[in-house]
Amino acid sequence: MTVQAQNSSRIQGAAQRGFLSWVMTVDHKRIGIMYLLSAALFFLVGGLEALLMRIQLAQPESKFLTPDMYNQIFTMHGTTMIFLAVMPLAAGFGNYLIPLMIGARDMVYPKLNALSYWTFLFGGLFMYSSFFFGGAPNDGWFSYAPLTEKLYSPSHGMDFWIMGILLLGFATTIGSINFIVTIIQLRAPGMTLTRLPLFVWTMFVTSFLAVFSLPSLTTAVLLLFLDRELGAHFYNVAQGGSALLWQHLFWFFGHPEVYILILPAMGIVSEVIPVFSGKPLFGYKAVVFSAIGIGFLGFTVWAHHMFATGMPSTTLLFFAADSFLIGVPTGVKIFAWLATMWKGKLRFETPMLFSIGFVALFLIGGLDGIHLAVVPVDWQITDTYYVVAHIHYVLFGGAIFGILSGVYYWFPKMSGRRLDEGLGKWHFWLMFIGMNLVFMPMHILGIEGMPRRIYTYGAGRGWEIWNFIETIGAIIIAAGMLVFIVNFFVSLRKEATNKSDPWDANTLEWKTASPPPAYNFEEIPVVRGLRPLWDEKHPELADWKAAE
Amino acid sequence: MKIFHKITLLAGLGFILSGCTTSPTFLRPASSIAQHEANLYNNLLIMALVVFVLVEAVLVWILIRDRKKRGDDDRPPTQIYANTKLEITWTVIPVLLTGALFAMTFQTMKNVAVPAASAKDINVHVIGHQWWWEFDYPDLGFKTANELHIPVGATVQVTLDSMDVIHSFWVPQLSGKTDAVPGQTNHMWLTSNQTGVFIGQCAEFCGTEHAMMRIEVVVDSQDDFNAWVSNQQKPAAQPQTADELAGYKDFSGVCASCHSLNPAEPENKVGPNLAHLFSRSTFAGATYPLTEENLRNWLHDTQSMKPGNDMKLTLSPDEINHIYAYLKLLK
Repeated sequence: MTVQAQNSSRIQGAAQRGFLSWVMTVDHKRIGIMYLLSAALFFLVGGLEALLMRIQLAQPESKFLTPDMYNQIFTMHGTTMIFLAVMPLAAGFGNYLIPLMIGARDMVYPKLNALSYWTFLFGGLFMYSSFFFGGAPNDGWFSYAPLTEKLYSPSHGMDFWIMGILLLGFATTIGSINFIVTIIQLRAPGMTLTRLPLFVWTMFVTSFLAVFSLPSLTTAVLLLFLDRELGAHFYNVAQGGSALLWQHLFWFFGHPEVYILILPAMGIVSEVIPVFSGKPLFGYKAVVFSAIGIGFLGFTVWAHHMFATGMPSTTLLFFAADSFLIGVPTGVKIFAWLATMWKGKLRFETPMLFSIGFVALFLIGGLDGIHLAVVPVDWQITDTYYVVAHIHYVLFGGAIFGILSGVYYWFPKMSGRRLDEGLGKWHFWLMFIGMNLVFMPMHILGIEGMPRRIYTYGAGRGWEIWNFIETIGAIIIAAGMLVFIVNFFVSLRKEATNKSDPWDANTLEWKTASPPPAYNFEEIPVVRGLRPLWDEKHPELADWKAAE
Repeated sequence: MKIFHKITLLAGLGFILSGCTTSPTFLRPASSIAQHEANLYNNLLIMALVVFVLVEAVLVWILIRDRKKRGDDDRPPTQIYANTKLEITWTVIPVLLTGALFAMTFQTMKNVAVPAASAKDINVHVIGHQWWWEFDYPDLGFKTANELHIPVGATVQVTLDSMDVIHSFWVPQLSGKTDAVPGQTNHMWLTSNQTGVFIGQCAEFCGTEHAMMRIEVVVDSQDDFNAWVSNQQKPAAQPQTADELAGYKDFSGVCASCHSLNPAEPENKVGPNLAHLFSRSTFAGATYPLTEENLRNWLHDTQSMKPGNDMKLTLSPDEINHIYAYLKLLK
């Protein structure tokens, strides 16, 4: 309590307005908003990079981009979307929402929180500055050694990538530690772990995944740096190094990373669907355990990214079986969301549309993912557009749709205004149609033998039509994002209504003003169930009564 | 099961008809390996489609049936928290499916496993280079590049290595991919039940020209294969005319440091072995048809055709004429 009191007095003492007040802030809500806005800008840049790739691939033998440009762009697209967009978007929501949802006045370490944000921002800008210093990184977001050795990648792009990854990993690590300690220490009276909102739970699991997986990435890039700049030979085969060492180190991080990207979005969807169905989340405990289960299993499947590297068949079978198992907790979640909507009174406002979109699209990303875990089929479709289709159904149809659902849902909390519903529906449908046009045909291209990461392809291989359709889909997605940008600014110029609970929601963040005061709650709330606000609004149907 | 196979066939056909029929899809397999992989894929696709249709149908049904209708009162719907039986059901069913997947995976892996080596097998050493493929036939005593010839029906034992970064050898209609990893020799096998040309390409991103590291596998009848082999074993043709002699001299000065004319060259050269260049139908990583126009353009400016490749030279029109005159002898 004393920590909180000190923090809030510090916040109140700081400047409240103007540029400097944002630079100096340690308020979790302002840091959260800065995270969200910075990550949104990176997301737009990453989207433009995707658009450039789609223009290049719209027809065979196109000369729109040189191979060097294309390779830099696809590398930065992946790196941006993963490290500079989806992860910090989730961190932004986490920062803004976790203290509010658990009934606290701030994060446990507000200054560390600010450090985490600024390190992320400068890490991202630093990586992008490579475009002005001899070329961006160009070996793909998973940067396989030995291609990344100086002999094969002589530009400083890889060095920028290594340094950028170190900075971003540092930012994520301290941010995650902050989330973990905050969730353990600062819960309001009565907010037991079994009453924790699902979004907080998923951020809790995500933070553990980050803390335990990032050291492997840090090690991998440090060894690479030693190889490149100090003449070490960790990945240098000619001098006795190992080419596959990188892949093991990288994917030991890289696979939990997939869940770091998707779990927060699952958390958001698990908040939105109950509110817009008028029901509690079905099987709350099962959903929590499935998130924890996904977290654990996520650490045991990394080698399924390496089925074609020549591993013995016993190893292949072990990793295949483990990968299948992840389908089980994932299924539990999807069924839980369906059961939550079952016989509810569904309201189809934009946050709900994006959450439903998440369920519909993530299902596809789950099912095509199973194909990739089946070893002999993986030998055919790994490293093809099939994989690109799969990751985008998970990370675009999944993570991004979940995050957009959260943007529409919490925008009124952050700004005191709702985003325009009409434009929101346009945004949703353009994104939904566009994403299926881009990514569904990628399955077919993978099946038809088109590898990923090629800057051009020959005519007459049957790939033209699907590539062309994909490019049209990409333009539709871009149009959807334009609608969103317009919506954002138009809605911000509308007069604030400052409704504290515009969606008739359940959790504590809706109990306080919109936007909330620096100290969040005038009085720390006392919690008796999973949906404290629901209990207040429906005393006769209170969750704690049902539990008795 | 019969109906399953019919649907499988339809699903497979759908994919093939959807594109041009020339796509190198493993769903039009030309080997028992690709056939097993295609069967497994199609069975998985059916399973996935069943789950997909069921779940999406339930979702859409809920969305239509349970939407809040105009005139509904504001009373909340019945609050349902959990249902243990239901939850156990939808946990156990996927676990069982997992078992089925495992059995299918195991069986297919057995079916496509590399067979034990036999004296009748053809041995090929495949070496990945940035950005071309070297094919060494150690028992037959020659090397070639980018176009692999194998006899129909034979078992081809393939050992894979890389001279530089990681590549991945993939000819979908014949087999799934295996990486060529520097410092580690991998094994795979190839076979084909029909003659023809099957295309593929490097599947692991390997730098600037990853896109132009393509493969052609020519499956010959046994007679054609034998003829091809005896041609490849011959030494490179000797220059006769003045132009050819001049070309040979230029070749020795400019090209020979990277390209060998000895089909049995023991050294690992930077570029493809050219002893029988014109027995191939493509060049530059199986990217361009080997025509006079293309080859002259290539000699004039390789970088505009395959930007970033290691062949950076400036030749005079005379040198190009001479070198071309010599190269076209190399049948």
